[in-house]
Amino acid sequence: MPSRRAFLAGAAATLAVPTSGWAALGDPAYLAAARRDDGTHALHGLSAEGQILFARPLPGRGHAAAAHPTRPEAVAFARRPGVFAVVLNCADGHAEATLEAAPGRHFYGHGVFSRDGATLFTTENDLDTLQGRIGIWDASAGYARVGDIASGGIGPHDIARLPDSDVLVVANGGIATHPDSGREPLNLATMRPNLAYLTAEGGVIETQELDAALRLNSIRHLALRADGLVAAAMQWQGADDAAPPLVLTHRRGEAPRLLSAPDAVHRRMRNYAGSVGFSRDGTRLAITSPRGAQTQVFDTAEGRFLRTSRLPDVCGLAPGAEGFLVTNGQGVVAQLGDRQTVLTRHPGLSWDNHLIALG
Amino acid sequence: MRPLILSFCLAVLPLSGTAQSQPEVVARVVDQHVLPGFAALESETAVLADLAIRDCNPFSSALRRAYGTAFDAWIRVSHLAFGPLEDENRLFALSFWPDERGMTPRSLERLILANDFAVESQQEFATVSVAARGFYALEFLLYDQRIISTGSDEYRCALVQAVTRDIHQTAQELDLAWRTGFADLMRNAGDNDRFHSADEALRTLLGGLNHGLEYTIDLRLGRPLGTFEAPRPLTAEARRSGRSLRHVLLALQSLDQMTALMAPDKDGVAERLAALFASAITRAQLLDDPVFVSVTEPEGHLRIEDLQRRVSDIHDAVQADLIPALGVGAGFNALDGD
Repeated sequence: MPSRRAFLAGAAATLAVPTSGWAALGDPAYLAAARRDDGTHALHGLSAEGQILFARPLPGRGHAAAAHPTRPEAVAFARRPGVFAVVLNCADGHAEATLEAAPGRHFYGHGVFSRDGATLFTTENDLDTLQGRIGIWDASAGYARVGDIASGGIGPHDIARLPDSDVLVVANGGIATHPDSGREPLNLATMRPNLAYLTAEGGVIETQELDAALRLNSIRHLALRADGLVAAAMQWQGADDAAPPLVLTHRRGEAPRLLSAPDAVHRRMRNYAGSVGFSRDGTRLAITSPRGAQTQVFDTAEGRFLRTSRLPDVCGLAPGAEGFLVTNGQGVVAQLGDRQTVLTRHPGLSWDNHLIALG
Repeated sequence: MRPLILSFCLAVLPLSGTAQSQPEVVARVVDQHVLPGFAALESETAVLADLAIRDCNPFSSALRRAYGTAFDAWIRVSHLAFGPLEDENRLFALSFWPDERGMTPRSLERLILANDFAVESQQEFATVSVAARGFYALEFLLYDQRIISTGSDEYRCALVQAVTRDIHQTAQELDLAWRTGFADLMRNAGDNDRFHSADEALRTLLGGLNHGLEYTIDLRLGRPLGTFEAPRPLTAEARRSGRSLRHVLLALQSLDQMTALMAPDKDGVAERLAALFASAITRAQLLDDPVFVSVTEPEGHLRIEDLQRRVSDIHDAVQADLIPALGVGAGFNALDGD
């Protein structure tokens, strides 16, 4: 996730940065899409305490969002296989631009801005080849399509950027899908997900695959720590009785490290991690499972399992004051440290998969 | 300690094979499990607080007995960790455990050594750290040698009275919140903002059941078990008052009663779950080890691990059999992941 604060701190030294326009909106700490009771969808700005600061309608179900580093602008992505992404001016809710997937493409639901905020990168599916692509958009010129590069795999889902650099990290989930056959995986026989590091020009710097025995473990979501440590969450597509690890950490040039709770506790995740995130101080990392109704927390340095906390339909996860903030499909925003406490409950809202930290 | 008796003697009516609607199941659990449970917690904590006014000596057997009875009532409802228990931080105000950083003894010591005036009024005491409130703090005040010999008898007496009064206050609030509001929100799910459907209310109750099972597996049993090489008997719940195994039993009995109210007769689901509960409860009753000290011996460790496995089997059956049999749908995110 791009860190606005880190960006501002870094940029301030070299150039004059305009005051962040997010301040006018009450300085939201998080963005999250939600379904409302009437079936409509909206992108919400949340305070650090989980209060709703603004809500901007979306044309359909959202998935994740990417926040511009300086402008109060968020790109809300439709969930896959969506063909729209809306650039919302969060100050007044108007759509500054709408990104339409190029012909023969659809979005996967995630995107990230370049370090200077001038470029937006989006994960896409090429419907002719079913190869993963990264779409490139000019955020300084009305989000014109500039071009695209290979994602380094199939089914790229989440995308992030290494801190203080323009190296992109892509979770190539490995699953080929085509809207004609819905969300059905078309390549289980050959599926091979990876974690790819790319330059903005399309050079593949490094690719990490899991052992062949774990090739059905779809690498889907990412979190980055300020020092460049990557955490990735997986979703198992194999047999139910296997229960492979659902989260890894990786540092460029090293081997990935797989983390999991003791077997019985681990199995409660039901082979599915929906989001991954680091605690605010980076010492812990967590994964959520809406299917298992829990969030499992690990010690980042040791890779040791620390605790599991139950919350029905939990999925959204981001750094918070006590460690983490989590959201669920029943409108709950809860704080998770040594203990989990509900901060707010928004009746009639179902928070969607991801909670995006702005700071 | 008096023998365990099933305090939920209310008849659990056999469901006689008829399919029960979700609102009926919700109402039955609320009326026959939740409300009586919180009513018992209210009355037992009232007895405890009243007694403490007259008798605050930590060695008093009457006081210790009242503490035990009230704690029993809490363990029987501690899995219902949603709604009123979620509000106002009440869950932690009653139950600050596990306490990995030793905050309970530290907070108590700080109050005692400072002769903190917070004990003088209920309002003030409600603002002290949750680590110094609730049943686990009271256990330290009644059973921990170090705390019992810290500061003055007068102040510790006032602190025992403040803690018990505060526990009763919280229990009263819980009972009231359930009786005058939350029970109806669950019964009338679909007509309110809190529960949009009976399905959602039922899912919440099942979440409570799962929470109780997981808490028992991971914490009540898992903590003292540690690993075979490194067992951790000193982390057993409420070991100072000799209640670790008792809590496992109380929790299982209460969860068994709750499950029996939900499980439909069809396809042998109710029967299978009842048998799994019986197996775990029998195993627990046969353990002659109130605070799990035997985890340090190979045989003891295996026996307690076996109990843990039996509770895990119940948990598995809840996911595999009970939830599907109740026709409970998955949540917004669980249903449609990405």
